[in-house]
Amino acid sequence: MTDVEIPAEIVDEGAEGAISVWLFRDGETVVAGDVLAEVMNEKAAAELVAPASGRLTILVQAESPVRRGQVVARID
Amino acid sequence: MSASPRRRLTIAKAMSEALAHEMARDPRVLVMGEDIARLGGVFGTTQGLLARFGPERVRDTPISETAFIGAAVGLAAAGMKPVVELMFVDFFGVCMDSIYNLAAKQSYFSGGHVTCPLVLMTSVGGGYGDGGQHSQCLYATFAHLPGMKVVIPSSSHDAKGLLLAAIRDPNPVVFMYHKALQGMGWLGTIPRSITHVPEEDFVVPIGKAAVVREGDDVTLVGWGVGVHHALDSAEMLAAEGIGAEVLDLRTLAPLDRESILRSVRKTGRLVVIDDDYRSCGVAAEVIASVCETRDLVLHAAPSRVTFPDVPIPFAPEMERPLLPDAGKVVSATRAQF
Repeated sequence: MTDVEIPAEIVDEGAEGAISVWLFRDGETVVAGDVLAEVMNEKAAAELVAPASGRLTILVQAESPVRRGQVVARID
Repeated sequence: MSASPRRRLTIAKAMSEALAHEMARDPRVLVMGEDIARLGGVFGTTQGLLARFGPERVRDTPISETAFIGAAVGLAAAGMKPVVELMFVDFFGVCMDSIYNLAAKQSYFSGGHVTCPLVLMTSVGGGYGDGGQHSQCLYATFAHLPGMKVVIPSSSHDAKGLLLAAIRDPNPVVFMYHKALQGMGWLGTIPRSITHVPEEDFVVPIGKAAVVREGDDVTLVGWGVGVHHALDSAEMLAAEGIGAEVLDLRTLAPLDRESILRSVRKTGRLVVIDDDYRSCGVAAEVIASVCETRDLVLHAAPSRVTFPDVPIPFAPEMERPLLPDAGKVVSATRAQF
């Protein structure tokens, strides 16, 4: 099992971002390197990349606020 | 090259990618509109273009559609290939003379000597409580006027392919994109519209509809968000033993009557989903095209699921019940059996 975290480079320390859209659905199989979601930070859009391959479990729905380091999904 | 079928893009990203692709390939392509440069488009249609191509080819304009769409029509006549964004289709009124008296007629009036390779990108659709002058579709308003093509994608794949086809077309193309499919978080997005998009060059030909689900008992015709209502209702109808075929028009003008007739000849039943106003709409045109075909036998009178003939209310609890949805499509279909 691998946690999918919001990496430091896409949300500033102490700042709040938001997942604007999940590009894969809950339960879908993903491959390491797939762009899983778009994350809005201030005014810029960043990409959340799959750190591993396997079945995606979405823990934080689109349009929810996220912080650096937060686990937003799991890959099994 | 991306062989993997998992390069998922939103329609916003797919449009931005198509523009970047064509700007890199053809120096005559330039982009203008409100908030399209520094912001990358209010609906995300021009992301990354300013940084890559610079302010001469990617221009933020003042809030004057009359000025910048008029300028674009002139640029097109002079040999450039401008892509302009009219942020909301609702505001066509102030620039309509340039669009339908100049752009649409240029090729005809000049005997084909001067074409107008203009693309007008514009957002359509409501459902998010933005009031009667930010929520309209106006498909029929544009599809009615000869000299312009009108396209609207239901997926990111088609968004890229149709936009590339639109830019390469020698005559004006109105490229509509539906807000409910755009992939902007604040608008909500139907997940099915986010599809694999090849990185390489490809076009979705203008004027060709696509069968997106096969069935034998009824033809559901939609475009943009209507395709997704049709697919949702086809799923519900399948549980009742009704096989629905779903046709995505993709182009509203010129209308692919051949594909519509081919499907309805097979099924004998027709339901059209159109979130534009009811009277004199594209849905009416689709139904008329079927009904005036002499040798085509229908098992039931065709029906349309549309927005009623009233301005779109601001209050979500008043707007939502008026919009087409899968439940209404299922009811309209059941009534034909």
